[in-house]
Amino acid sequence: MSEMLANQYFMARKFSDAESLLENALSTSSSPKIIKRKLIICYVQTNKLDKALNLFFRLIKDDIDFILSADPLLDDCPCAELLGNDYLTIPPDDPYAYNLGQGIMWLYCDIDHSLNYFKNLYNLGYSKGMIPEIITLISEKIKQSAEK
Amino acid sequence: MDLNSKLKDHILDSIGEGVFTVDKNFRINFFNKAAEKITGYKREDIIGRFCKHVFRSKLCYTDCPIAIALKSGRPIYDFESNISTKSGEIKPIKLNSSVLYDEEREPQGGIISFRDMSDYIMIKDIDKEQRFHGIIGHSKQMKEIFELIREISTSDAPVLIHGESGTGKEMIANAIQITSERKGSPYIKVNCSVFPSNLLASELFGHVKGAFTDAIKDRPGRFEIANNGTIFLDEVAEMPLQMQLQLLRVLQEGSFERVGESVTRKIDVRIISATNVNIQHALKKGILREDLYYRLSVIPIHIPPLRERTEDIIPLVQHFLRKLSLMYKKEILDIEDRALDLLLNYRWPGNVRELENVIEYSFVRTNNSNIIDSNKLPANFNENKSASPATFSFKDNTSENNPGHEAVQLISVLEEHHWNKTEAAKKLGIGRTTLWRKMKQLGIDS
Repeated sequence: MSEMLANQYFMARKFSDAESLLENALSTSSSPKIIKRKLIICYVQTNKLDKALNLFFRLIKDDIDFILSADPLLDDCPCAELLGNDYLTIPPDDPYAYNLGQGIMWLYCDIDHSLNYFKNLYNLGYSKGMIPEIITLISEKIKQSAEK
Repeated sequence: MDLNSKLKDHILDSIGEGVFTVDKNFRINFFNKAAEKITGYKREDIIGRFCKHVFRSKLCYTDCPIAIALKSGRPIYDFESNISTKSGEIKPIKLNSSVLYDEEREPQGGIISFRDMSDYIMIKDIDKEQRFHGIIGHSKQMKEIFELIREISTSDAPVLIHGESGTGKEMIANAIQITSERKGSPYIKVNCSVFPSNLLASELFGHVKGAFTDAIKDRPGRFEIANNGTIFLDEVAEMPLQMQLQLLRVLQEGSFERVGESVTRKIDVRIISATNVNIQHALKKGILREDLYYRLSVIPIHIPPLRERTEDIIPLVQHFLRKLSLMYKKEILDIEDRALDLLLNYRWPGNVRELENVIEYSFVRTNNSNIIDSNKLPANFNENKSASPATFSFKDNTSENNPGHEAVQLISVLEEHHWNKTEAAKKLGIGRTTLWRKMKQLGIDS
């Protein structure tokens, strides 16, 4: 099935339907960053948080601005509607999942909020691996923006 | 933009249906003029935007027409939906959608063409208002007919509808069928006057292969197709006598044979028939079999001509004006008093059909005004302004009932023109030869 159908599912917020089609499209698409940006959201919404974290980490390492610039109207980014309406499907009773999901999703909307959730994760004991690196990347971006 | 693209855009801009295309991300990349008109958006405002943000239809989240075409691999046609226009109005639309593929059959976008169905739905709604299954009738006579139709709704008895041409016999037949217990069953209409006598038998009763030169295979007739339902035999009195006998047998026994076959077939069909001929005259002249007439007219319905129910003229005029205003997208909802007087005093030989045509003619001619003026009526109305427009007409079938009255009218017109037949014929709106024939028929010596 096609990337176009994946885009439609994503647009209709059918994240689980979009997910597998976006995965297929990732290898062939001429705009893989757009696919990755959508796929991260699908993984968060389908509770595949490890996959979401891996892809998120790789993308922000490569181009953090690509997530920061996602626009609800111009890019049909669903972050605002998911966070604003509490539609995130992350289990709230799991602190790791909750903070990770919120941290990833908030980067699409508000970088400071995102950093806070990753810091929570760090304080919860996730002080090795990707979490501290993500904190560094986000902190550097905040610093750069402040300097401008 | 190359010449081909410009030409394609020009073609798409010239059609009446709204057309837009999206890329594979569902961003609009083309929007034609009709789409602008239907939605109220200017193309420069929406090119590059996601279609769901523009149309704000529930379908975008449930059954996106392009997604359906993508999944099925086939275009979809006449899909009914609603869209929000720029002003927030919800418009019903019918759409076709298709996927646009590249050379490698990879989907690269989609195209949707759509029609605004608001007017169509409004016309349908207007038709439903204050009328009996689409029939406008405020007069006592028409209300009695509607009441009779309600009363016979549980009956299967044959109905014979009689009325002049243009009085709405078929609409009455439709109302009888739709209110009957057979409404969900086949409803077959046959105009008995359009088939030559040798073909009518085959049309009504079917034929077997080889029954005649063109009978290349077995074919069921209209009666078989209508089995368990209703058949409407329009202009039944035009049926050849031999066929009338066969029809009588169907009425009496419910059986018939296909042409060229000896097997007797049984059917259960309710017969509604109609005629515009003077029945007594037809019976007297032997054009219509008496036994058939009594079988067909178990429930007789006579639709009075329009001139005998002038109280229906104003509601009919209002109805046609509203309908035409929607059809022509030009609001003319009123008619000048003088024009209305002319309509009310006219004899309407063509009845409601003629009235509809007269209103449409006047409507089309009326520009820069929201009221129909008397001078926009057809010429014969204005020619007769000084005299009464209710003049003589040869098309009037009821005149056969009263040839004396007809002769008096004809003589009066001839007198008015000093027996100048050319002038008299002109006044009557008929040819000189027709006038001469009519004079001869009525025994008027020139």
